Amino acid sequence: MRRRDFLKNIGLGVGGPILLNGFGLSALAKSRLFNAIDDDSDRVLVLIQLNGGNDGLNTLIPLDQYDNLVTVRGNILIPENKIIPLTGTLGLHPKLGGIKAMFDDGKLGLIQSVGYPNQNRSHFRSIEIWASGSPANEYWTTGWAGRYLDKEYPGYPDGYPNTDNPDPFAITMGFLVSETCQGQASNFAITLSDPFSLSNLSEWNTDEYAGTLFGEELAFVRESISLTNQYSEQIHAAATNGSNMVNYPDTTLANQLKNVALLISGGLKTKIYTVSLGGFDTHGDQVLSTDPTAGNHANLLATLSDAIKAFEDDLVALGVDNRVMGMTFSEFGRQIRSNGSYGTDHGTAAPLILFGACADGIILGDNPQIAEDVSVQEGVPMQYDFRDVYGSVLMDWFNVPKAEVKAILYEGFQHIPVTSCPAPDAVHERPYLVAEPIELTSFPNPFTGSTTIRFTSGKEWVRLSVFDAMGQELEVLVNGKFSAGVHEVSFNGRNLPAGNYYLHLKLEGSRQKTERMVRAR
Amino acid sequence: MNAPTSLPLTLGLAPYAGPWTFEQAAHLMRRTTYGPVLAHIKWAVDQGLSATVDKLFEELPQPDLPVNAFYTGDPGVPVGAPWIDATYDNTILNDQASYRFRSLTSWTYGLIWQEGISIREKLTLFWHNHFPVNAVEDPKFLLRYGALLRSYAWGNFRELTKEITVDPSMLRYLNGFQNKKEAPNENYARELLELFTIGKGPQTGPGDYTNYNEQDVQAFARILSGWRDFGLTVESIDGSFGSYFTADRHDDGTKVLSSHFNSEVVTNMGDQEYLHLIDIIFQQDEVARFICRKLYRWFVFYQIDEEVETNVIAPMAQIMLDNDFEIKQALQALLQSEHFFDTAFTGVLIKNPIDFLMSILKTFEVETSTPLSQQYDSWYRIWGFARQEQLSYFEVPEVAGWQAYYREPLYYRNWLNASTLPLRMTHADVFCSTGYFPFQANGQIMRVEVLKFLDTLDNPDDPNAVVDECTRLLFPKPISADRKAALKEILLPGLPDFEWTVEYLAYAANPGNPAVANPIDAKLRALIRAMVSMPDFFLS
Repeated sequence: MRRRDFLKNIGLGVGGPILLNGFGLSALAKSRLFNAIDDDSDRVLVLIQLNGGNDGLNTLIPLDQYDNLVTVRGNILIPENKIIPLTGTLGLHPKLGGIKAMFDDGKLGLIQSVGYPNQNRSHFRSIEIWASGSPANEYWTTGWAGRYLDKEYPGYPDGYPNTDNPDPFAITMGFLVSETCQGQASNFAITLSDPFSLSNLSEWNTDEYAGTLFGEELAFVRESISLTNQYSEQIHAAATNGSNMVNYPDTTLANQLKNVALLISGGLKTKIYTVSLGGFDTHGDQVLSTDPTAGNHANLLATLSDAIKAFEDDLVALGVDNRVMGMTFSEFGRQIRSNGSYGTDHGTAAPLILFGACADGIILGDNPQIAEDVSVQEGVPMQYDFRDVYGSVLMDWFNVPKAEVKAILYEGFQHIPVTSCPAPDAVHERPYLVAEPIELTSFPNPFTGSTTIRFTSGKEWVRLSVFDAMGQELEVLVNGKFSAGVHEVSFNGRNLPAGNYYLHLKLEGSRQKTERMVRAR
Repeated sequence: MNAPTSLPLTLGLAPYAGPWTFEQAAHLMRRTTYGPVLAHIKWAVDQGLSATVDKLFEELPQPDLPVNAFYTGDPGVPVGAPWIDATYDNTILNDQASYRFRSLTSWTYGLIWQEGISIREKLTLFWHNHFPVNAVEDPKFLLRYGALLRSYAWGNFRELTKEITVDPSMLRYLNGFQNKKEAPNENYARELLELFTIGKGPQTGPGDYTNYNEQDVQAFARILSGWRDFGLTVESIDGSFGSYFTADRHDDGTKVLSSHFNSEVVTNMGDQEYLHLIDIIFQQDEVARFICRKLYRWFVFYQIDEEVETNVIAPMAQIMLDNDFEIKQALQALLQSEHFFDTAFTGVLIKNPIDFLMSILKTFEVETSTPLSQQYDSWYRIWGFARQEQLSYFEVPEVAGWQAYYREPLYYRNWLNASTLPLRMTHADVFCSTGYFPFQANGQIMRVEVLKFLDTLDNPDDPNAVVDECTRLLFPKPISADRKAALKEILLPGLPDFEWTVEYLAYAANPGNPAVANPIDAKLRALIRAMVSMPDFFLS
């Protein structure tokens, strides 16, 4: 029985999507009943990178904020009657019809306002942060998926491929290697443009310069040649053995996903595929001046939505959809206010799309609160740390123990429910069965000097911090174990410039909340 | 495939005083020109280091303009005439933009092909990577942009930065043309600081970095407001184009910079304000270190440790400061330093796609067709191949440049992967075997002629010398005795050395006779094909 059917039968699934405020169905989902997958080692993760910084507010539109959106981004805002309704308070860009259909079909979920503390608004640096999973002020040279694969397959590439692992662990579709899969010694991803081409490059022994810089570069070239040859045969065999069952749009992204489906159906054991779609850096002409539903961003979203929809349909037709989960990410969202060029500048957090049979019905997070007096450079504040999303994918999808996830990402990692069918051994230490609203308020608000922040917690670890409008974490107010009940802390904002600030509360069991407070003039 | 764990102890910027032989001359030519060409290396050996460096930096006139090579449908531009001043016609706009872009890219590769002993083209690409553009719709904009970079190849960094800031292609690429008082667009302002002049440095606080802060980004955007390009494609009615300042789009309010720039207060200076701003940035010595690191990564090696920072970057930056931000003196010091000729750094850079292709085409002096349209199509073919290998001239993928020059930890290794490696191998092998026709099969085939190459060797009659001479020309360092033996086995399978001499002498006596020429051609071709597929050939 499909999980969704089960929910309907027991009366929990009431036709519409299951809306969750800050927590998911992990307790229910944890049951073996929901775990449609026999062998978790067959699980595949497909990462879709949206290069340039996607404008989340024109992707997943908070309908309850529409009036203020008109004030701050009227020249690019989608007219209300063109927005595709998703839930009572959320709508989708009109080009996201495919995504809407998948959501209705129980094959897609969304996480609102994903970002990281101390947002860096350089593309260059922010892509690195998203790829490495590092804190914003640290420079890590490995990727988050690379560190996971390093733990699973120590020593790579020495001794690989081998009889147990004949296939590449990760594949990047296209020509540029994915930093996400960079391991200690080597990148786990091989790049692939044509799965049907067989590589038969000659291999030479170049050991004579071992131990020198020249020797290192020679060895890199030599091993690249060797790996290319070996993996090429496996990929070619899978491509020949596999098939596609549906028509795809004729876009680069769709073609890349088509090849991913082909290789999965052909039996390739690759765990992670990365594909990308560029052009989201929409400083100018994001929409047509004559029609905000058309233009560069609309075209990009149509490309994305149509490609994902075809891919998912294909996976279903091929009977492998239960094994595949997809996720989008982008280096940042864009600023809340649009600019005068019918575009938007670099911002902070943005929504992230999960798809696949196991992303059923998930909508995590609150709608961003849009103030009509939002400052020029203000972005959407973060509610979920992207490392919690990554780590939860590792836990739930690849069955990585929490302690290991912490080592791969960060000590403050908290699980959030990113899939409705977690791996069999994934144990969530604190299941929540009922949706309890998270209480977080401050008073006075607006404030000029001291303000009191009130929150409710169970007996659990609590982290409470204050962010400015640029996404910088200014102060951690609370970080420790609390008893159950209502708590108050005071915050002195006397020295802060006037403007918007955000409280970010993180409780156990994937409950996180963001609340605005205003420093008055 | 381990990344090097530590760099070797290195020499500094003191002048190189060691031996000057083929090995050092070839290293210098590999890093500063495309190819390299055997005759150029020999010339350098003969002339000495200092004269060679002078030659590399010899002032050259701006090249002749690119021309319409084939398109007969343009009323204003006959075949053979330049198109830079021509207008566009709405009815054939796509055709016009397309043939002109093709002309521009072909011509650019022609300049690389015919560069001679000059560092100018490698520096032009360096600036293209540093001040990138992409998706600029009008080829005349790009031609002007490329000419600007070329004219400043080793010129003054500050003055180039001033010119590029209001260059029409750059105004388009980073939205400067949309940056106005009522609606500031901070795209260029941010990159000017982060990527073009001073760099962020580590973050030091909320919205604050070592070298500037977010307040500066906003102030910079305001200072730069009001500049627009004009004359893009059909917008030009008389062929004129460029950039101009509009006072009513300029934010004439007072801008206050952060303490990183001494809290400088900038009051309205109209169209002079951006010049003043760039002078302010260049008061920071960090700008010189920033660009010297980039030059170092381009010409020496991608890793910079503290020792290199102290012994190479710092003195190089000091030379640049002493010379008011002229690139020439600092770069010449680097290229003549004992650090540059430290053998630890020879062969450590994976060639970029242009370098890779040119190390076949130029080194073997492959000939192209001479009629205009065929000549341009030969060059256009090479632009296309480099593009497949992920270096597309005039289409830089990111505002930070090509990944090879900034993305840690792989840097140059980013050029090679399971997609680009087989492509490079194929291109190299086909050039050395059957050859490629120019674009659209227009003209004479481009193919390595190994017999012509054999004639340029010092000792073509000795098979050991043939392998050695090929190795020192094609590879950055010598190879092991085992690999040398394997290569000789390809040249002379299962035969004693004297058989080559016998066969070669027969050919030399009667080169027009296919019965003796063809076997020599086949054997030598097999050797060359093997060598261009070896890892060493990918390195410079």
